Amino acid sequence: MKAVLGILIVTAGIILLEAPYLLERKLKKELCVFSILLTFGATISILMALGIQLPNPQDMITVVYKPLGDWIFGILQ
Amino acid sequence: MSSNWKISNRQFSILVTLNAIGTAILITLAGLASEVKQDAWISVIAGVGISLALIGLYNVIGDLYPNMSFVKAIEAALGKWLGTVVSLLFIFFSFNGAVSLVWIVGNFITTQMMPETPMLYINILFTAVIIFGVRLGLETVARSAEILFPWVIVFFLFLILFSTPNLKAENIQPVFENGIKPVLRGALSFISFFSLPSVVLLMIFPASLNKPKEGKKAFFTGVLVAGIIMAITAIFSILILGSDFTARNTYPTYVLAKKISIGKIIDRVEAVIAGLWLITIFFKAVLYLYATVLGIAQTLNLRDYRPLTLPLGMLMVALSLRIYPNIPYFIVWNEKTFPPFAIVSGFFLPLLILIVGKIRSKKERKIADNERNKA
Repeated sequence: MKAVLGILIVTAGIILLEAPYLLERKLKKELCVFSILLTFGATISILMALGIQLPNPQDMITVVYKPLGDWIFGILQ
Repeated sequence: MSSNWKISNRQFSILVTLNAIGTAILITLAGLASEVKQDAWISVIAGVGISLALIGLYNVIGDLYPNMSFVKAIEAALGKWLGTVVSLLFIFFSFNGAVSLVWIVGNFITTQMMPETPMLYINILFTAVIIFGVRLGLETVARSAEILFPWVIVFFLFLILFSTPNLKAENIQPVFENGIKPVLRGALSFISFFSLPSVVLLMIFPASLNKPKEGKKAFFTGVLVAGIIMAITAIFSILILGSDFTARNTYPTYVLAKKISIGKIIDRVEAVIAGLWLITIFFKAVLYLYATVLGIAQTLNLRDYRPLTLPLGMLMVALSLRIYPNIPYFIVWNEKTFPPFAIVSGFFLPLLILIVGKIRSKKERKIADNERNKA
């Protein structure tokens, strides 16, 4: 629980640091992308802090690229 | 904003060198030695040769799109929709690189230097410094690279000079024991850490150079300097540790520095090589994250990339704890998955952009000629 609280505090800090500047200059698109990325980051951090196993992006890259790697290195075998 | 930032050619070639040495100096040698045994140094030299040809390819792309970053060039070549998809793949490559560098630093420090500190805190600290660098911008990063580069060279010379008493010539024999093919295989996996990630530098080359014409030479010089450093490191690792011992360590260059002992006065100097390596990997990580945020900002036509750095930093810390569950996973990933990933992003993608760009410029010239003839 402590970790989740910490993550929420950090998230709030990031919002306080960036949002006023974005609102002041009316950078709507930037604010939108910023919010999406921050929500994504905070969600993943909280899920990990709660000990929930998430799929590893590296595994997906492995599925795509390993056959190609085997083929390239196979030529030089 | 970012488009107005200009760096000098000297600063650019220093960034190229630091980016190329980055991970290569500490990690690749172990994998190379297990693959190629005592011929690892030949693989490194062959890899440097291939790298110079690769830089030639990047330079041609720079000629074709002189005022654009790589993401803009992708969009110009492939159109809006396909361009966006391909750009996202490139952005994913650089972000993945940044995350894995954070993991590598965390792992290195927790296994070799500070075993009782949790990896999370080291990752948070390192990510914070990277974000600081990226927010301050390219010019600041380039200037600090200029200040820190002499230290890298001094640390490197220190390592080489004091290692010479440990050299054993029999470790390097027999040369070419297994023929040429394993050497080429080694060279391929070497360049996937050494020069293929330099594709992220196309985000600043040539658009952010103050003299783009001479930038090409700077690109070559940077890789050549890094290549000389890497070749010497490889030869020394094999000569001092032997191929077997090099292969069995995750961080062979660090062990190399541990072996230094001159009259019991100069002893335990491995922190020197750790310092060298933290400097190079920091700049590599900054360049990766800079390419990521600038790439996102340019694909989505944002005016400022800075608001994206902190959320992405948060994501980086979270993912860096998850990215490699353990060292064997990391080793297998480096051997099997990363080389094709880097070859696709660092060679085939630029090649595609180059070919499409050439065809487009030819077509445009034809249309222009036709119109002139009509008139």
